Amino acid sequence: MTGPGRRLALFAPMGLLIAAFVLSVAGLLWSSATRGGIGLYVELLSDPGILRVLWRTVWIAVATTAACALLGYPLALFLARSPRRNLWLLLVISPWLVSIVVRTFGWVVLLGNRGVVNTALRDWGLIDAPVRVLFTPWAVLIGLVHVFLPFMVIAILSSLLLQDRRLEEAGRILGGTRWQTFRRVTLPLSLPGVVGGSSLVLLMSAGAIVTPLLLGGLRDRMLGTQIYTEVFQVFNFERATAMAVILLVVALVLVAPLRLLEARVRRRLEGA
Amino acid sequence: MRTGFPTRALAALLLVLLPAPLVIVIGSSFSPRAVLGFPPPGFSWRWYVEFLGTPSWLVAFGISAALALVSAVLTTLASIGAALALRRAPARLRGIAETAILAPLLFPHAALAIGFLGWLGMAGLGGSFAGMLIAHLVLCAPFAYRPVAVSLAQIDSSLPEAATILGAEPGQAFRRVVLPLLRPGIAASLLFGFIISFDEVTVSMFLVGPEFTTLPVAIYARLNDSADPVVAAISSILILLTAGLVLLMDRLVGLRIFVDIEEDGRHPSA
Repeated sequence: MTGPGRRLALFAPMGLLIAAFVLSVAGLLWSSATRGGIGLYVELLSDPGILRVLWRTVWIAVATTAACALLGYPLALFLARSPRRNLWLLLVISPWLVSIVVRTFGWVVLLGNRGVVNTALRDWGLIDAPVRVLFTPWAVLIGLVHVFLPFMVIAILSSLLLQDRRLEEAGRILGGTRWQTFRRVTLPLSLPGVVGGSSLVLLMSAGAIVTPLLLGGLRDRMLGTQIYTEVFQVFNFERATAMAVILLVVALVLVAPLRLLEARVRRRLEGA
Repeated sequence: MRTGFPTRALAALLLVLLPAPLVIVIGSSFSPRAVLGFPPPGFSWRWYVEFLGTPSWLVAFGISAALALVSAVLTTLASIGAALALRRAPARLRGIAETAILAPLLFPHAALAIGFLGWLGMAGLGGSFAGMLIAHLVLCAPFAYRPVAVSLAQIDSSLPEAATILGAEPGQAFRRVVLPLLRPGIAASLLFGFIISFDEVTVSMFLVGPEFTTLPVAIYARLNDSADPVVAAISSILILLTAGLVLLMDRLVGLRIFVDIEEDGRHPSA
């Protein structure tokens, strides 16, 4: 019913979308090679300001991912064991009902010097002067963790739900304590979810723009905000292009080890 | 086996914090004062009235809704075509094609935005609806493809065969047997396409023009100058709209497909 010609025709519209994607990546690399060249990269990478931006991007992305994994795992475990899982899951994904701009702005209202948190702390007499969190990298970290936590929870939850529950029961029956059973049975079996979720969060937080712009301000920039500044405030498209290529490389370098780990964990679980 | 107390306490805290911005946004949208704050010092519909009475907000809303609708329909149609084309393709070929379809997920959006800005500008599509639509189609395609592909894989291939044996034309077997069974996947595809496009801001903020903007970018621009509660009012309307779409989907085809998509992602070989 489907010959090769017909198959090609069915695939053609999606093929066009793939072409549009390839064109934008190829165009980016091409215009960086022809208009800025290697010289621009040397200039950017020897600029201490840019190196600080690069370093900040890496540590914020790694810290966001680690925090999402550490917070997301217990939450996913709770969801996996709870009889009211669907209700809790709805709460976990509820942030997706609002645009990321507004979600992030919710934190501006919460964390500002006269925001909800500072006002409450002062009213309770716990602090005298407002704690300055907004427009620091800490605010960016809080915002990114909030934005990306649902992705991590869902990735871990799905690998917990796939586990054969009898394996845990066997662990307990054979005399393992709760902690031992968790460490030797549940955790290893759910690692693909943790690693998969981590690579997603790492990638998205390295390339974030809106959250660092609104919560970090323009002083403590990340690569995404630096690109935004180059385009809209400095009007230097060559530099923006080179920064975009640097971001691409940073993202791939950060995620590559996780992808390798994921393949390895999968192989081991399938072999076992 | 139940989880221990520390796990439950942490989970409870996170389950309160995750929806917190929603509560704050909805709460502060009813503020009678011009400063965004929570809890609101009183109650008024003032900011809802302002939104509905400001043409530029309504135009941005209309553009975003049109963009999301067209993106959702076109990426879903392209996904149905691609899923059908790849269903009986050799495993290797299918693997390559699916990697290409899902690739935009693996690229940081800030970098993609600069790529789009470059070639769309050269093609004369900078700051236009068509240029924005092309970018949105590319960004929505991976999300639209998976539900349809998962749904198609669940259909027992003997069903259309049975229809053919019973005398149905190939087109009839597709329309009367395959298409109805694909309904949950198609609905999820449309929903994902719509929400992803409607909320997209990272790439869109680079592609708007002086006379053309989308709602999330307009909201961002407004929040950057002043934090008045009209933004909270718009967001509350959007929350209602999205929640309505999700509920509608639940009533029409159920939400089971979302779990299936995740499980499929864990077992790409299955």
